[in-house]
Amino acid sequence: MSAAGENSVGFGVTTAALAIIVFLQIPVVVVVLAAFSTTSYLTIPPQGLTLAWFGKVLSDPNYLSAIRMSFFLALGSTAISLGIGAAAAYALFRKTLPGSEAITSLLMAPLIFPAVVIGVALLQFYSMTGLRGSLPGLLMAHVVITAPYVVRSVLASLAGVNLATEEAARVLGASGIEAFRLITLPLIRPGLVAGALFAFITSLDNVPVTIFLISANQTTLPVLIFTSVEMGVDPSVAAISTLLIIVTGFVLLLAERRVGLHRFI
Amino acid sequence: MIRPRHGLMLLAPIALALGGFFLLPVATMLPTSFQEYTPGAGLTPGVWTFENYTRIVTDGYYREVIWRTLGLGFAVTFACLLLGYPLAYLIARGPERWRTPLILLVIFPMMLNLVVRSFGWIALLANRGLINNLLIDLGLIAAPLKLMFNLTGLMIGLTHIYLPFMVLMLVAAIGNVPRDVESAAATLGSTRLHVFVSVTLPLSAPGILAGSILVFILTISALVTPRMLGGPTYKVMATLIYDEYMQTLDWPSGSALSFSLTFLAIGVIWFSSSVIKRWAGIA
Repeated sequence: MSAAGENSVGFGVTTAALAIIVFLQIPVVVVVLAAFSTTSYLTIPPQGLTLAWFGKVLSDPNYLSAIRMSFFLALGSTAISLGIGAAAAYALFRKTLPGSEAITSLLMAPLIFPAVVIGVALLQFYSMTGLRGSLPGLLMAHVVITAPYVVRSVLASLAGVNLATEEAARVLGASGIEAFRLITLPLIRPGLVAGALFAFITSLDNVPVTIFLISANQTTLPVLIFTSVEMGVDPSVAAISTLLIIVTGFVLLLAERRVGLHRFI
Repeated sequence: MIRPRHGLMLLAPIALALGGFFLLPVATMLPTSFQEYTPGAGLTPGVWTFENYTRIVTDGYYREVIWRTLGLGFAVTFACLLLGYPLAYLIARGPERWRTPLILLVIFPMMLNLVVRSFGWIALLANRGLINNLLIDLGLIAAPLKLMFNLTGLMIGLTHIYLPFMVLMLVAAIGNVPRDVESAAATLGSTRLHVFVSVTLPLSAPGILAGSILVFILTISALVTPRMLGGPTYKVMATLIYDEYMQTLDWPSGSALSFSLTFLAIGVIWFSSSVIKRWAGIA
């Protein structure tokens, strides 16, 4: 009998699995290589190394305004999603209303709905109501696609919370709000952090909804990269992509250390 | 206990947000899908037609795009399953200290911007991309292989993008298979392969199904990767919707296609969840 934790995976499977891990990292490595390459088309070994593309990107007003726009939308939609999503998750967890399960699946609907359909529906809706090209319209579109992640993570976190602790605090004289703030809130903090992180990255990443709603002078970073690539491969795209890779890697490691992110996926 | 009135107050903000900016917009798109569109002239007011839906089934070009989308969905799902299982197995059953690093290496590309990942594949697969340059330099081929703007490019890109979702689902499923049952089978004389085929694989079936549904839905709805690796000509349903709205401005056709795609996605979920329920009933 094999002890738990001992490697019971055969050599062949291990090799195959590690090859697949390499496959998953290949495009990341290629983008980083391209960002430092002097030639616009990649060769192995690289022809020469340069930091010029980073300088070009970081002094390009189009990229800078796209970066600002992306972070504004990501921070704004995360903040709103966190507020309305956590409140909804708490209400659903306490089963204060009948039909909690039906409400939950309704709140999750934007996750399984094709994003492109949400995009065109909002495009048409905003054209009719005059919200097209407006910042609040764009922000609300991002709230729609980010809020379900907060609901899901907070519900997952609440599942491990014993309601009796909150009731005990009430019995000992805490008000409802005090009991929530002092007992429940610290217990669900990992779910809030994970939900906020998913919301932030989902918003920062989004193209299929955003591309239908941006105006000519306001665009987000991924949409700008998307449209630049359609016009041809350019190393400055690789440079801005490398910056995104670094930010993503940093956020991921930080989140793993703080809340053990992989438990919420 | 908190009262229903408080529950309503807590749920109202998200209900208003999703109602006003998701349900209502989708609902207002429904009448558009029954309107008549004439190129150059736009919508014909007061005329209602089923034409936009019947054309999706009768027009050869639309049919081709739909079959291509569904075929791609099945192919990518199968590829993810094939590549995902060994990796998930190593994460779930391999050395304990490998677990977190391996999971992080799976999550990292998943968290990374979709556009960035697709761009990476363009740099690899283009006519003057890394793979073709390498093969030509090595003297293995004379002219670049066509790896993009066709099925090959879309298969590689979409499999790469949805593989992590499959792996995470399978890790959970394999982790739920009791090790005792596996050891029991091994003690009773099963070979390692036999234990896998007769115990681990069937017991992880719910996870296989859940992962497959997820990957299938995500693949048939994908817009960014098919657009970047398929180019403007090799179309799937999502990129066709994009073109109907942004280029030809034929909103009625686009919204009819949008509802068809949505019904396909929801239909797959509904059908497979009823199959799962029947299985659970038998077991």
